[in-house]
Amino acid sequence: MPGVTTDSRSFCSQSNTLRPYLAAVRSTMTASLCLTNFSSQVVERHNKPEIEARATPEVLLNPVLISRNESERVLIEPSINSVRVSIAIKQADEIERVLCHKFTRFLMMRAENFYVLRRVPMSGYDISFLVTHVHAETMYKHKLVDFLIQFMEDVDREISEMKLSLNARARIVAESFLQQF
Amino acid sequence: MLIDLHPANRVLDETLRERFNGTPEKLGQLKLADFDGVSYKVSTPDSKTVLHVSMYIACFAQLRAYGADDVLRREYGNLLEQTPEDGFDVTVKIDLENLPENKEDLIRKVSLLKRNALAAPFERAFTAQQEGNESELMVIQYRPDEAFYIKAQHDRVTVIFSTVFSEETDRIFGKVFLQEFVDARRSPATQNAPQVLYSAREPPMELRGLPNVVESENVGFVTFVLFPRHFVGPAAEGCISRIQLFRDYLHYHIKASKAYMHSRLRIRVDSFLKVLNRARPEQPDDKKEKKTASGKTFTRKETIGRPLSPVHDLSSHFQDPLHNPSTYGHCHL
Amino acid sequence: MAHRKVNVDQYADEDIFVDENQTAQGSTAVSAQTEADVDARAGEVRNYLSRGDTPAAVIKALENPPAGREVTAVKDKNTATVMSALAAARSTDILAIVKSLDSKQTDVLMKYIYRGMASPELYNAAVLLAWHEKTVEVAGLGSIVRVLTDRRTV
Repeated sequence: MPGVTTDSRSFCSQSNTLRPYLAAVRSTMTASLCLTNFSSQVVERHNKPEIEARATPEVLLNPVLISRNESERVLIEPSINSVRVSIAIKQADEIERVLCHKFTRFLMMRAENFYVLRRVPMSGYDISFLVTHVHAETMYKHKLVDFLIQFMEDVDREISEMKLSLNARARIVAESFLQQF
Repeated sequence: MLIDLHPANRVLDETLRERFNGTPEKLGQLKLADFDGVSYKVSTPDSKTVLHVSMYIACFAQLRAYGADDVLRREYGNLLEQTPEDGFDVTVKIDLENLPENKEDLIRKVSLLKRNALAAPFERAFTAQQEGNESELMVIQYRPDEAFYIKAQHDRVTVIFSTVFSEETDRIFGKVFLQEFVDARRSPATQNAPQVLYSAREPPMELRGLPNVVESENVGFVTFVLFPRHFVGPAAEGCISRIQLFRDYLHYHIKASKAYMHSRLRIRVDSFLKVLNRARPEQPDDKKEKKTASGKTFTRKETIGRPLSPVHDLSSHFQDPLHNPSTYGHCHL
Repeated sequence: MAHRKVNVDQYADEDIFVDENQTAQGSTAVSAQTEADVDARAGEVRNYLSRGDTPAAVIKALENPPAGREVTAVKDKNTATVMSALAAARSTDILAIVKSLDSKQTDVLMKYIYRGMASPELYNAAVLLAWHEKTVEVAGLGSIVRVLTDRRTV
């Protein structure tokens, strides 16, 4: 129909979606970080992060997915006293897959140092965080969200930097060997 | 400077230097190792002044079939022992009281023992090509799972390496490195270099039908095509030394890059912890120090998360050959 | 210790949590009427879009969403309708359209935005991210919280 144009082409370039993607993650995270202490309803004197225990359905809220494209997604699963955030990182080729795997494994083995990091990612994702009401009480919420957003940016940057340095190194190694012939 | 590997064994070099210049004493036994499972023994079994240097190399039988004895005799003359020491394949006997004029030359020659032993099939192939003949396909199983193959043809000499990548990561890193080798001829600095071909699982055509060729997910085959300009005359020596060490060179650099990645990850994780620390509110000063009823004083820890290690500052982290400006001499980043 | 095997909650009648949507009773049930509604609405939205009237298309698409716990084909169909309306809007018009919606409609809109992002292989996430940004600007974080807590999921 003449006169009707969809502006979807302006949505397609990758760099244009990064900012709204991170903004969406930030606002959704801030909204989901309304946590309060809540003892387990199933076992006396126990206090568990309900999103992990999943014992009673009424304390679980609707999980929400924010996606930038099929390979980059953030799944936020809130509950009354805890929130689980799972991130799927972009891995375009074999080498990025290996680097991402190394990176996330390195972090997850040190999960205790990080407090909010989960030792095992949710299936379908590369890394998961578990934020409980204790974290929300002892840390500034907006700074916690800042940390997560910064994490997402830095992971991408680190992987591409590592890939670049690997390629640069490969070039030097090959040249150094072959130029002596 | 550590981008390239030295063909000569540094420890042998230093040991010989010490022995030649110092006062002779009875040496117990010095056992050394080199790349590819090669080991040496330096000892003085008979008298204080006669040094025995022996080398064990697994594939010596194959090397012998390709003329290693002649090469060694040529290089070491009457220093070479007819029968090597027990458990070893080559023995060189040096009389410390009758050292030649040019001691440096002797030291260099002896520390190149491994290189000279492995040079035999190369020399045979080069000679064959120069005479215009094709040679047989020579197989040298220099490592338990890996071998290299040399064949001379009328206009070129082909050297094929089979190499095993024990980890998935190694395989992928190796692929990146080898792709650069293959593409190197495009750049002006290396356009005269030998052609390199890489095949991930399948052995190249020249090896089809050969028994004992290992074929699996983790095996890669690298082919070097050498033309006469690469190995005629004075170029031959360097060519042989360098090609021999190719497999170790590749794996050395793969490991170095894995270590570099690891150090980068440490730095990155430290910076994340710093950001996370900012999320913790500052404790008001009067609360920082507390006293228990019995009088013990303690302070509240400020930081969240235990730090991994002393925070690395970028300039002082481990010596990485490619990123330490003083060590890459002629290579320009 | 036989009592440990007994689930006492099933005997505590007053306190048991009944998820109305789970049992699909009353107005949240998906019935034939709903299906007919959805189809009719799809047709109307298509009309608006072909006429170029994107704001009206969006408002129409957000009417009476079939909500409830179960994910059915009917809900998928409605989602597709909403997505087509959202994708048709020019990026410059989004803010104006969102401002013209009342709070109930923005809540429904937000629900559909998240629903759409849940299937990135079907729907263009970039479009939805743009809508998300503008909706948060207008309706605030509360609209997100309502998506998280409202059990009538689209």
